[in-house]
Amino acid sequence: MTASAQLQDVTFAYRPGCPVLAGVSLTVERGTFLAVAGPNGAGKSTLLNLLAGLLAPQAGTISIEAGDIRSYSRRDLARKVAVVRQESIPPFGFSVAETVMMARTPHYGPWGFESQRDRTLLAEALDATDTTQFAARPLADLSGGERQRVLIARALAQDTPILLLDEPTSFLDLKHQIEIYDLLKSIQRDKGRTIIAITHDINLAAQYCDQALMLQPYQGPDTCERSDPSDAATGQYRIGPPSAVFTPAGIEQAFGVRVFAAPVGRESVILPLGHLAADAGKIGLQQASDKATPSEPNKT
Amino acid sequence: MHRTLSPRTLLIRVASAAVVLVAVMLACALVGTERVSFVNALSGGSDPASPNPDFEILMHVRVPRIILAAIVGAALAGAGVTFQAVLRNPLADPYILGISSGAGLGAILAVIGGLNWTLFGRSPIAAFAFAGALGTVWLVWVVGRVTGKFHVTGLLLAGVVVNACFSAVIMFLTSIARSQEVHATIFWLMGNMAEEEFFVLWVSGGSVLAGLVALFFISPQLNALSFGPAEAQSMGVNVRRTQVVAFAVAAFITAVAVSLSGLIGFVGLIVPHAVRLVFGPDHRQLLPLSSLVGAVFLLLADTLARVVVAPAQLPVGVVTAMLGGPFFLVLLMRYNRKVCRLT
Amino acid sequence: MRKWWLLLVSLALWNILGYSLAQTSRVAATDATPAAATPTRIVSLAPNLTELLYALGLEEALAGVTLDSDYPAAAAAKPQVGTFWQPNIEAVVALKPDLVVALDFQQQQSVVQRLERLGYRCLMADIWTVDDFMRAVGTMGQATGRQPQAEALVARLRGDIQRLQNAIAGRTRPRVLWVVQREPLRVAGRDTFVNELIELAGGENAIGPTLHKYPPIGAEQVIACGAEVIIEPAMVESDFARQRETALAYWSRWPHVPAVAAGRIYVIDGDLVSRLSPRLYQGLETIAQCLRPEPPGE
Repeated sequence: MTASAQLQDVTFAYRPGCPVLAGVSLTVERGTFLAVAGPNGAGKSTLLNLLAGLLAPQAGTISIEAGDIRSYSRRDLARKVAVVRQESIPPFGFSVAETVMMARTPHYGPWGFESQRDRTLLAEALDATDTTQFAARPLADLSGGERQRVLIARALAQDTPILLLDEPTSFLDLKHQIEIYDLLKSIQRDKGRTIIAITHDINLAAQYCDQALMLQPYQGPDTCERSDPSDAATGQYRIGPPSAVFTPAGIEQAFGVRVFAAPVGRESVILPLGHLAADAGKIGLQQASDKATPSEPNKT
Repeated sequence: MHRTLSPRTLLIRVASAAVVLVAVMLACALVGTERVSFVNALSGGSDPASPNPDFEILMHVRVPRIILAAIVGAALAGAGVTFQAVLRNPLADPYILGISSGAGLGAILAVIGGLNWTLFGRSPIAAFAFAGALGTVWLVWVVGRVTGKFHVTGLLLAGVVVNACFSAVIMFLTSIARSQEVHATIFWLMGNMAEEEFFVLWVSGGSVLAGLVALFFISPQLNALSFGPAEAQSMGVNVRRTQVVAFAVAAFITAVAVSLSGLIGFVGLIVPHAVRLVFGPDHRQLLPLSSLVGAVFLLLADTLARVVVAPAQLPVGVVTAMLGGPFFLVLLMRYNRKVCRLT
Repeated sequence: MRKWWLLLVSLALWNILGYSLAQTSRVAATDATPAAATPTRIVSLAPNLTELLYALGLEEALAGVTLDSDYPAAAAAKPQVGTFWQPNIEAVVALKPDLVVALDFQQQQSVVQRLERLGYRCLMADIWTVDDFMRAVGTMGQATGRQPQAEALVARLRGDIQRLQNAIAGRTRPRVLWVVQREPLRVAGRDTFVNELIELAGGENAIGPTLHKYPPIGAEQVIACGAEVIIEPAMVESDFARQRETALAYWSRWPHVPAVAAGRIYVIDGDLVSRLSPRLYQGLETIAQCLRPEPPGE
């Protein structure tokens, strides 16, 4: 079986009767790069937390590497799944090296100390994320983007077959965004890891991911009943290759925006535009006034 | 290149600190209101017919007190480190979860109730203070869990509320008590070191040491917990179990300390910070070093408290505050690189 | 998991070892020194006990006193062992006493316990009422081999008190407000030895039974109690006259209280009445003077 992570008919609700995810079933093959996108409140972070074992579904089963997630102990699950979240600063001044080394906690010896292998992984992780020069500095001294890279290094050091990332490039400049995506892709390719990343940058994700998941907020009738999830057109989620999921029509429908699409290489670049955007006319959006207003092109 | 802690570094630092502690203990044994000749004391034990006051003072008055100060200082500092870690709050001290008011309430009930039974031959105040401290932590734990599994805010709030209520009760009881009882309670609340008998020191010392070792065992988990329960769990830490062990053990050693010597503040708050400033926040190192430094600090404070305005005695808590504050400021200025953030 | 079991087992073994060590040392310990018939080195931890020892003629045997033993004046020259509230054990031990006397309350109890553990002979006196004091004199006399002097002292005191009772018999009892502290206002209630002194001296406490022994009271109670005499014991032995001035200024805010209207506000030597001591009678005399129908010349 090559399934790395699998959800079967999973339903999760924070408040009883109002599910965020309803009857979701999807399979992520081993060694896949899956990009998860969708509007706010669609349940992306919830999905991530379910896969990380932090939330338990009210219905359905979740499998990690062919084992039911509930059968794993915390330690064992940490050897399978690593999570990178939005950066957080602990109240005490841990250094970068100490932070990254913490990922090796499940692997420590009986007296709580790291081994040579742990140190090797630390060095590799720092090197891969270009954070070696920060190793001795306290985490709080770094910029947001640098901290982000440190957290990714920590996930790398955890040396797990599955990596979950929650908007890993949100604080990074262009250069580092590319570097991180390149890094994730190389991990996927060279080490056969499974990458599941939530992203708001659809264009960049489309260039790197193998599969894409578009989640939409659960829309049941007012009584919060389940709707039929198999209806691909109006259902809660769509999964498939990026070219099939990140279509202009799909994005317009999911996010409720109008987009301008232009082909680039094998993909399209998709640019959402509003009424006052410079090229609004190209997609049939009329400007509110006829006066030509000089404006900067919108960046996503 | 050791960018993270290695066992060898830790052992060297802990051993050095232990040596310093022993040296300070020896030095303090020779300081007191009475001139004691060491040579004289060595000449032999006390024989009822011809008592040797030097020996008496040294072995039966000073040494037990010194051991006691070391035990209490180590317990308070270790508990302080732990509460700061689990509550992710640099302002936490061992009394934050109502231990101080619970112990005080137990003490004043014992004084007013005029109860006479003893635990291991010690006064009822100590036993009641111990029970009060642990009972209060349990109460705070139960009440504080209403805000959800891992949230520490609930615990902090419950601690504040319980502290306030119990303090009010203490004030009421103090107002109706006889003046001697009031004085006794207040004196106890201000912290004092008395000589205890051998068995008490043996058991307390062993318990505190065992507690500190247990906390050392969960130090890697405490490190991970500093990033929050979600992050820690993703790194394989059993957050629930770590929190329970940390709270239970830290509360226990604090209760032991409080029952031995009353409420001594500042040690549990400042010593962890000072050690963290110099050595960094890794709990595998912070915990043992803070305990040893706490022992030294309290020992020095107690010796000073006895000697500085002889024949009267300052309450130990006053000296710890007066010593600790300026010392900490100096450290802060020199090591501001590793200042912890009060987010 | 193994290290946790190791820890628990070690702790259990440690405690068992400690217990057995403690047992053996208890068995090996011999009895404390057989009580000397007449102790020759006595340490007193309370000022009234110091006075008592002097009254029993034990000045020579007195080896050490606390800082606040200021009467008689000679006592201040004796070696000091700390204060009444915080006796200094080291100093006590250094004096090699064969008898330590203390009062029976929490603070001193713990010191006595520690001294007894170290093998010193201690005597605790439980002095809360005048009768207690008489008894304590007897006990002290026995412990120090001064029974005749003790009995004489008790007889003299009882005689003096009886004479006083006879002299004031039949007089109306003025209502007395005994002010322990002015800000905030605290007075002595019925359940104190001060109350006993007031009654022996021919007065009656203006305050009725209260929950507190030394209740704080408000302006209402001051007006309602109808005190005819106000007595303020002064702890500081400075200018009594000046203290009386400030007292008069303070009480002038209640001009309709009988004591204030009649100007019967007295500041007396607190030492005489803050403790039960051989000068008990002098204290009673001072109070009785305040309570005499004619205001005394001050």
